[in-house]
Order: sequence, then structure tokens, then C-alpha cells
Amino acid sequence: MTRELNLNDIQGNVTRAYGRFSFPFARYYFFHIDNAAAGRKFVDEVRKLITTAERWAPAPGEGEKPVDSVNYKPLVTTNMAFTFLGLWALEIPLRTLQGMPDVFAEGMKERAFVLGDRDQTLTEEEAEKENWCAHWDPIWQKNRVRGAGGKDDVHIWISMNAQCVPGTVDPVPELQQRIDQIKALAGSGVRLMTGNGRDGKAECQEASAVFEDFGGMKVPSPKEHFGFTDGIGDPVFHGQYPEEQMKTAVIGRGKMMGNGWEPLATGEFILGHPDESQELPPTSRPSEFMHNGTYMAYRKLHENVGTFWEVVDAEVAQYCKVMDVDEEEGRETILAKMCGRWTDGVPLAVAGTYADWRAFRKKMNFEPTDPEEAKDGAGVSPFQAYMNQINYIKSPEASDFRYADDMAGLKCPVGAHMRRVNTRDYMDPMNKFSVADDGSQPENPDATTALNKRRRVLRRGLPYGPPNFDSKDDKTEQGVAMMLLGTSLFRQFEFVQQQWIQYGLDFHQGNNTDPLLGNHDHHKRHTIPSDPSTGKPPYVMSKLKTFVECRGGDYFFIPSMTALRMIAMGIVDPT
Amino acid sequence: MADLDTGHIFLTTLAPIKSGTPVDPDSTSYEQRVRTALAELPTSRQSPATEKAKYNSPFARNLRNHFVRMFVIDDAIYNGRVQENALKLTIQKVNTITPQPVDTLNCSYLVFNADIDAITKDGDPLPTNLTPEQQKEVRRAYAKEVWDTMEEEISRIYNNCVGFDGIDTGDGFADYLEKCHVETLMPFHDYYLKLPKFHTLPVTPLLAAVAIPALVGVLALVLWLFGMTSVFGMSSLLTGIVALGLTFVAAKFGISYALKNGAKPLPPAEYDDLPSVLKSIYIQQKFADFVVENQGVSDADLHKAFGAFMAEHKPDDRTGPMQKPGVISSSRPDNIINA
Repeated sequence: MTRELNLNDIQGNVTRAYGRFSFPFARYYFFHIDNAAAGRKFVDEVRKLITTAERWAPAPGEGEKPVDSVNYKPLVTTNMAFTFLGLWALEIPLRTLQGMPDVFAEGMKERAFVLGDRDQTLTEEEAEKENWCAHWDPIWQKNRVRGAGGKDDVHIWISMNAQCVPGTVDPVPELQQRIDQIKALAGSGVRLMTGNGRDGKAECQEASAVFEDFGGMKVPSPKEHFGFTDGIGDPVFHGQYPEEQMKTAVIGRGKMMGNGWEPLATGEFILGHPDESQELPPTSRPSEFMHNGTYMAYRKLHENVGTFWEVVDAEVAQYCKVMDVDEEEGRETILAKMCGRWTDGVPLAVAGTYADWRAFRKKMNFEPTDPEEAKDGAGVSPFQAYMNQINYIKSPEASDFRYADDMAGLKCPVGAHMRRVNTRDYMDPMNKFSVADDGSQPENPDATTALNKRRRVLRRGLPYGPPNFDSKDDKTEQGVAMMLLGTSLFRQFEFVQQQWIQYGLDFHQGNNTDPLLGNHDHHKRHTIPSDPSTGKPPYVMSKLKTFVECRGGDYFFIPSMTALRMIAMGIVDPT
Repeated sequence: MADLDTGHIFLTTLAPIKSGTPVDPDSTSYEQRVRTALAELPTSRQSPATEKAKYNSPFARNLRNHFVRMFVIDDAIYNGRVQENALKLTIQKVNTITPQPVDTLNCSYLVFNADIDAITKDGDPLPTNLTPEQQKEVRRAYAKEVWDTMEEEISRIYNNCVGFDGIDTGDGFADYLEKCHVETLMPFHDYYLKLPKFHTLPVTPLLAAVAIPALVGVLALVLWLFGMTSVFGMSSLLTGIVALGLTFVAAKFGISYALKNGAKPLPPAEYDDLPSVLKSIYIQQKFADFVVENQGVSDADLHKAFGAFMAEHKPDDRTGPMQKPGVISSSRPDNIINA
């Protein structure tokens, strides 16, 4: 039976990763509430601008006039969320606040040790002495400072995503209009928190897709600044899509419990609905304040592009020598075996070797035809080839694979980024493990995702930094403005971050961390297993450095439209 | 016999803590003194952040214990009124408003739990079976080892316990701990690389041994009730009584067999003693380093390097080099013993 969600009550950023819906630009604004009444008034005005999860009607065809009462895709979206201290500043009753999770109340900075954002070889005292968050953006350094009386705490997060002026790298002008409108609403009593960026000069966190250039025509790409294709296998839950669309959307992105791919329970991602343990996720009272809301970790993740290529170059050189392959094969293989997908998004589970991948690309027409060979428009143009890739990664085939048939990681290394953040059916305790001399492994056809389905997070956000692949180094500003949504920050986001990204025991990788996202100040290794039929030994990358580091953020509650109205009216009543 | 399993002794001891406060101006009770002494014991260097800590757990000074816990029990936990059938209580005219008696302990207790190698001398192989007397010897040997390596800490904790006054030797502590010993009912073992041969209960033969005479007995009695006093020339009444008697004996035997079978200790797992565990943790780290350092070298160089690796790290030698107890890695030279 399909679950009908009240999409008009749920904020749109919960159900949609806007970047996937042709909104390649985002602005994240942060506010501090000095006066509760002014704060409620601000919430009341902004809530009228909120983009809900309501489904969008297809845009009117050429020559057709838009119909007034129809909800088309907007040019700019707006969403709003609150820190625990923001809710406190808005005078939400104590009884409601104390029913909210401790990790949400503590905030992300306090959890830095658990998350691996703070050096785990230092005691708290040593870390404080070293001013461990000195590299964070000033807005986040000043947030939640002990003893500061909360004067610079971040209370409100407002995100705006914008469509693109076609063919350019510019957002539609409506974005600036919306920004001006919201800034004007703040007025006195609600303070805009600047201090974004390394130098603290930016009034907001800007984000933009990285654009590909086809002879001057700019097209937003799904790549981040290391060049990996990102954001492919986001989880799918009951009620997220209409029934017809769900049949394909769920493939590779739902759960597998013996009946093929099924959507995950809504309550994993939206409060007030049954979750995967067949109960309602815990909420505080009143229930209508929490219903249709969810929690979010906002994380600014800086990418050390200079260090990344320096390390990859060194590893590639050694890999080519040890494995006796050419530089191109070595480079693509190292990158793919770190990530779990080739740079174009093809999963290693589909094409496990460089030769397989090249053949797959050829078959799928991802490679443009050499212009000299192509006759009069025949063949595949670079743009067509690119669009073939884009269509592939949007298709269910790009997500439809498992790991239980590759327990040893001969195709996709067990410690690779993708296998850590979404373990699929790898963790089924009944899985059999063996590797024959010809490289064959047990199929484990009945493996389920039971130990993975309570650890999924909705990933939202966009890269930040220049919208192109021009050369960058560690000091330039680039990375991903990341949002991780779920009904339990502790069980979902924090668990994945602590146990699967910053540790390796569940994957038999000891202390090794995620090769891409992990902290490598102390643990610098990533093992790439080898198919015994090739006669080659496994390769251990051993010079990893920290490529991605947190530059700040916090935990937020994304209320429903009902809850926003209750906050605005000041009528949240837990009795 | 559940104290002994898989070549380990799962030790449980309960020492009564003196009531009240010694004649002392700071009015700190004996129980508070135990708690303070426990709180001030250093933890082992078990996290990357505490690896450089000045002190290590005193239990890391011996090579016997895998796991130790010491804590104070204040009193028995009250779980609320014992639940009974409300209808039954109504008929019995029990007034549930009247409180039931509540169990309490006569004093606070210091609990000392340990999972230790069931040996009396460092380096001995782990046994499968030990008589109660031999188990006592293991406990005593462990108590003496603890005394020899951490007398100061033990005295400071146990000085506040009933009957400890005047104890100043390892033998004295062993005698004392023996008096505090209680049986562990449910040990848990975690080290199996390969599962051992379990003592599987022969369920079908046991059931048959009870069910066949029971069936014969009931059938014979039914026939007798219907007036067939003799079947195949035998008295049906007598057959019935004898068969039911046999059923009773078989059931008694079956139950006691099942209990005995359950109580039989499992054999130790391979490499299950503490020195082997420490050695394997050490070798795992050193071998990972070896692999990384020798990627891509020629066969001849690899052979030579491996020879040097074997000579330096002696994987077969359980006495060392190996990781010290109570530390998190072998990366620091002072974390290695018998190098």
C-alpha cells in the first residue's frame, strides 16, 4: 500500500535534492535572534515563502500560458531550519525542548571528537589549547563558545536554491530578489550572521554546481571538485514519489529484505511516521510540533584539492610500477578504487576493472567519436557523450548493484568510500566469504540490507567554490556544503560518520578510515584487493592525507509548515 | 562448574564493605573510600588520546587477565511489585495496596570480576578441564599475581572491606578472595577463530528413552482399565506400573544428563591465552607495515626482507616481542615487551 504523505506540510528540501532538479545554485544564510517576538515575526514572514514538498506540475508547453492555480517548479526555493538554541531563543517551552535529542541540544561542535572533526589523539584539554577549530569559518568558530553567553550563536538557517540562466553560470535574478526580501524581513531583533568563508567576509555560504564547458556552452555537472560524480544513490522512502515513479526510483536506493527493492520506511527520514524498527521515531510533545519535521546536520566540507592530487600522483606512480600498468589506467583505477565508482559514476560493482570500464563506456556511448572519423554528423558528439553519461547516472542501472556477491572487494574494495557510507547487503551476518583461485566468490543471493537500513541519510547540498575545474589548491575555497537529514542524528549521521567513515572495523579494515572523507592524520592506508586470477598482489595505498575537512556547521531541526506556524504564533504547547 | 570455560576462569568475587565511618575527622564512610580508591585507579591507555598518559591501569602489570571489572553494589535493585494474575489475587483476597516485602542486602559489596587464563604459571598452556581443587589453585595463583603486582592499590581498596584487616601477604589475599568467591553462572567467550566441537545434546535418544516406557505404561494401564488384566501373558497392571517407574527413572537421568552436558566446559580456542592475543595484535601491525614497505620489491629482496622480518618479530614466540597489555598499539617502542 502506498503511504500518502501530506506534502504540503513537509519542507521541500526534505524530499528533494534541489541540485538534481536543475537548481545548480544555493545560498545558505544564518541568523541570530536577539528578541523572541521579533524572531517569531521573522519566522511568520519567511514561512510564507517556504517551498514545500508539493509535487510540481509539468511546465507549460511553448505558447501555452501558465495556469494561475497550478504549482509549477519555482525559479527559487526557500527553506528554513533552527538550532536547538534557536528554538530556545524563540521561547519554545522547556518541556518541548527537553524532549528533543541530546545530540541536537549539544550541537555539532560539541560532538567534534565523536565525529572525528577534532584530532582524536588529543585530550580535550590539549585540543582546547591548540584551538582545534581555528581553521573553521569565523561564523562557526564563534558559534556555541563556552562562557560567551551565546551572543554569536547561530539560530536560524535559511537556504535558497536557484535555477540557472540557460547556457550561463549565473543564477536567475529572482535569487537576489529573494535574498533582499529576506534580509529586509530580518529588521531589528534578528541579526544576519556574517563570517562565512575562511576570511569571514562573506555574508552567506554560497554554493554552485561545477559546470562543464562545451565550446562556450556551460552545463551544470554532478561533479565535485576532485572530479568524482556525486549524489547518485540517495535513499528513497515511502511516499516520496508517486507510485508509478517509485517502481524505478526504488531500485538500488531502497532496502532489500527478500522482496526485491522496496522503499525505506518514511519514519527513517520524517518524524511522526513509522520507521524501520516498526515504531514511531521518538519526538517531544506536542506531537504536531514534530510531525513531518526532521533533523539535519549542516556541514561545510572543505576539499584540499592540492593535497589530493599530490597524494594521488605519488600513489599512481607506485601503483603503475607495482602493477605494471600505464599511467592512465593507474590513475583511473586508483581514483575508482578509492571511491567505489569510476569518475564518470559507473559503479565498480558493474565494471570492476579498467578494461571492463572502457568497454562499458564504449557500449554506452560515453566516449565522443573522434571528429576525424565521424562523417557528416554521424557518431557521438562530446555533448551527446556527456548527456549519455548524465542519463545513465540518473537511471536505475547506476544504482542497481550489491556487495554481498563481492565480499572480498575484488571489484569494489571493501574499504572504498561508497561501501562505507551505504553498506547495502555487505553486512548480512549470514553472508559466506571465500575466494577461489579463479577469483569467483559466493553469490549470497539471499543477503538483505537489514543492518544498513537504519543507517541511511538523505544527502542534500551542492559544491561550493568556483563553478569550473580551473586549478585549485588547498588554500582556495572549495568543497561541498553538505546537509545530512534523518530522524536520528545520533543513529544515522553520527554513526555513519564515526563508525564507517572514521573507523574500519565493520569492514575488516582495522583503524583505516574512508579513503576520501576520512581523517588521515594518523591512519593513512587503503587496501585495494586483487583478483587472484590476475596473479598480482593486493595494493595498499599508504600515503593518504586528509583530503576533506570540516570547516564548521551545526545540527538543525527542519520543522513542518504546521510547526513553523506554531512557532510564529507562539503557541507550541506541550501540555 | 561455569567458572571454567574455554580454558579461562570467569572469576566473580563479592567482598562486604564495612558499614559506617572510621573514627576520622573527615567523616568519609568506608563505602565512599572504596569508591574513591576505584575512581582514582588509572584506566588503561586504551584510546589514541590517552596513549601518552603518565599512568596505566595496574591490571596491565600482569599477563593473566583479559578483562577486569571492579564496582560497588549498594543494594539489591527493586524491580517493583512482583506481578501476579489479578483474578487470582482477587479470589485470594490479596490487597495489592499493602506493600510486599522488599529484598535488601545486609551491606554494600565490592564486586571484582575477571576473565583470566586458567593457569597457575605464566606461559602454561590453557586446560580444557580442571577439578574444583585445580580451579581453586588457579584462583589463588591469580590472586597472588595481582597482590605481587599491585599490592598498594589492592590494600587501599580492600582495607575498607569486612575481614581484610591485617592481611599483608599474597597468600593472605588469596585466602580472603577465596572466601569472597561466588560461582559465575553465565560466562561469555569471544575469541574463537574456528568454532570448537560443541557438546551437542543427543535429543532424540533422550526423548525416546523417556517416551517409549511412558507410552508402554499408559497403554498397559488403559488396557487394564478396560479389563484386559493380562497381555502376552504379562499382568497389564504390573507392566504399567513398572513402565511408568522406568519412565520416571529415565526422565531423571535425562534431565541430569542434560544439565551435566551443559556444564561441561568447552575447550580453549587456538591462540586464546593473553600472551598469544598480545603477540597476534603485535604481528598484525608489524606485518601490515612489512607489506606496505615491500610493495613492488624484487622477489630476491622480498625473500631477504621476509627473513629479516621473521628474525626480528618471531611470530611463533609467545614470549615476545609483543604488545604490552593495556595499550592501544605497538607503534611506540615503549609499548613493546621483550623486543
